[in-house]
Amino acid sequence: MPKNKIEPLLLHVQKPSRYTGGEIGEVIKNKTEIDVRFAFCFPDIYDIGMSHLGMKILYALTNKRKNFWCERVFASWTDMEEIMRREHVLLYALESGDPIKDFDFIGFTLQYEMSYTNILNMLDLADVPIWQKDRGEQLMPLVVAGGPCVCNPEPLADFFDLFILGEGEEVNLELMDVYHAMKKIGASRSEFLKAAAQIEGIYVPSLYEMAYHKDGTVKSVQPKENAPAIIRKRVIKDMNQVYYPENLVIPFIEPVHDRVSVEILRGCIRGCRFCQAGFIYRPFREKSAEHIYQQGISLCENTGYDELSLSSLSTSDHSQIEEILDKLLTYTTDAHINLSLPSLRVDSFSKSVLDKITTVRKSGLTFAPEAGTQRLRDVINKNITEEEILQSCQIAFAGGYTTIKLYFMLGLPTETDEDIIGIADLAQKVVNLFYDKSNHVKGKLQVSISTATFVPKPFTPFEFEPQAEKNVIIRKQKILKEAVQSKKIKVSTHFTDVSLMEAVLARGDRRLCAVIYDAWKSGCRLDSWEECFDFSKWQTAFAKHDLCPAFYANRIRSYDEVMPWQHLDYLISRKFLIHENQKAHQAQPTPSCREHCSGCGANQCLGRSCF
Amino acid sequence: MLGEELLLKEYRIVFEKKGNMKYISHLDLNRCMVRAVRRSGLPAWYTEGFHPHLYLMFPLALSLGMESICETMDCRLTEEIPMQEIPEKLNAVFPDGLHAVRASKPVKQAQDITHAAYLLTLQNQPDLLKNFQDFIRQPAIFVQKRTKKGIQEINIRPMIQIQNISQTDCALCLHLLLPAGNHGSLNPNILTDAFENYVNQPIFIKNICRIKIFCENLEEFL
Repeated sequence: MPKNKIEPLLLHVQKPSRYTGGEIGEVIKNKTEIDVRFAFCFPDIYDIGMSHLGMKILYALTNKRKNFWCERVFASWTDMEEIMRREHVLLYALESGDPIKDFDFIGFTLQYEMSYTNILNMLDLADVPIWQKDRGEQLMPLVVAGGPCVCNPEPLADFFDLFILGEGEEVNLELMDVYHAMKKIGASRSEFLKAAAQIEGIYVPSLYEMAYHKDGTVKSVQPKENAPAIIRKRVIKDMNQVYYPENLVIPFIEPVHDRVSVEILRGCIRGCRFCQAGFIYRPFREKSAEHIYQQGISLCENTGYDELSLSSLSTSDHSQIEEILDKLLTYTTDAHINLSLPSLRVDSFSKSVLDKITTVRKSGLTFAPEAGTQRLRDVINKNITEEEILQSCQIAFAGGYTTIKLYFMLGLPTETDEDIIGIADLAQKVVNLFYDKSNHVKGKLQVSISTATFVPKPFTPFEFEPQAEKNVIIRKQKILKEAVQSKKIKVSTHFTDVSLMEAVLARGDRRLCAVIYDAWKSGCRLDSWEECFDFSKWQTAFAKHDLCPAFYANRIRSYDEVMPWQHLDYLISRKFLIHENQKAHQAQPTPSCREHCSGCGANQCLGRSCF
Repeated sequence: MLGEELLLKEYRIVFEKKGNMKYISHLDLNRCMVRAVRRSGLPAWYTEGFHPHLYLMFPLALSLGMESICETMDCRLTEEIPMQEIPEKLNAVFPDGLHAVRASKPVKQAQDITHAAYLLTLQNQPDLLKNFQDFIRQPAIFVQKRTKKGIQEINIRPMIQIQNISQTDCALCLHLLLPAGNHGSLNPNILTDAFENYVNQPIFIKNICRIKIFCENLEEFL
């Protein structure tokens, strides 16, 4: 941190070590030996960002290169922001304390739509021009972004010099090498961007013209200056060859997830129709049990962490999961390390797996049925049966777990009141199971039903679907609460205005840049935090630009509509999505990729079939 | 391990917490130490029972924002390790700002602690020394303290023992002895808040450092 300016202020803010740096594992380099400096900006506060696995991977990967230096930057909480503005302290990177406006790259990771105003706020705090067009011809700093939301980055297109599509382990370094070469010959920003646009996976939004129909839908996306018509995401072909860190920066304060994470696979075979992650991270690729074991041990030894988590979209889908667990347990038991397995599917939850998970906190297990009836689960392609759910709960109870969390969504396509009541019925069956005398379970039961509002996302079969309107969702929430009888069942719901904003930004177009800018200008930031989110400011921003949230969120999109992300290729074919959408409306499920290939198109980049 | 065995292999490590490390709370320090001990390779003992965890005991918490050169933590090792190796192994893995000074067998216990000495460094201001002398000359200094019975007015003057006051161009240094431990404690910040109220102007604290921990009869806590 810039000691002289920041230190006197630290005792006036909450959790000052968010802003100091100095953690074990942080990488400090001599800036005179560095060719390219990268400020990795996580658009939320330290406590959130330091849990993010992607940042840990790219930080370590970049720093392995002797001539590159990657440093970390997070959003300031409101108390620190106020002080920074008052004392004219520019946003700085934690490692060096240098203001990020002096860096070559300012890179954001787009993880969540409600973090978008934080991006603008951080650029402003850094004294970097927010609009790309105002950055002039000087080469640096370049403002770039990667991450899942980059599959539709249009609402932020006017703020970024370029986007990185897909997996960053190779393309990030390629980009920095091209940059370095061009910096040495004195290239300008636009010269560099033209060259960058030729790198596979790099999208330079300023080289594309958006045209709209009178009804507001996209008419065309026109590339300029030889930029490719379609930009395809980057995929790491072999999970066993790709870089994985051996060391981590260890935060002092407790982040949301305080543990070692080993990524065990990418992609997902299940094809749940609402799930963007399951599609945009395809094709499915596993890491070998041996690699997972070595990486897990190495990270635990180097960091001293006592919890190891296996990270993926659906951990039990790894073909060698039992072998991996057995192998890891030979190490973790003696080393007093807790093994945690989030993302376990209900249908593969077995006693043998449960016995191997040794998390000390036997607080609870989470299952995600997502819908209350088999019919609706078939519509969304969440292929789990009630029997499987109850069986898994039984195994959990027998294993000593007395808290069960069930995740559902409200507002799914074709949803009826019956489906909502089905949620309550299912929870009640879980309660009855617990108290069934023949089960001999002890303890106090707590069943939590957590309902989110369905948000249609790009690159899913439901990208054509409307989000249910606010009053409809409120009505559904009411039906659910009234249908729940038992005191053992707790119902929690998601804030509808936030869900609406997620839906707007997820499938938004470039005209939303002006809305996001005005929302930020009027004071919006840290929108993912309840205490900061102010929907009325967003509404004002929309009205100012004659745009309507309902146009983006609540409208049915035809199969022919040109989507704002039309020019971005995540390997999933439009034809496949349409076919899946049609099947959804017939309540016809699609089997998992392992059982039967449904031809989504993801295997194109592998040059072979996935299995 | 049986009772006697446990006592045999108990070690008390004296360490400094300074610099950036003053910005982490006591709970954060606890977590940090657990990981550091694990990285050090020292054969740490884990508690038995339902929730086994690495055994570490801190007899006296240090408030966020304060430095210390006399902190201690007790741990148990499953083997005898030569005393000088312990701080060496820890220092090899400690973050900047933490420094293990020495290890020894514990003599006193946490409940024996009665006082702690602090060095308070205040940024110099016009009349600061005189104001402090007037402040401390008062027979009584009342502060509001939140107790189980609600908010009470407590006279903290009898709790404050001035060991030394010195002044330089830029700072006023106060060496104070204050109660600490289970039998009653006074946080130096309460004193500085009361002083600030007395002079009715902002007081700028440059640093607060705990320099020694004492038991009855001012015997050093070791």
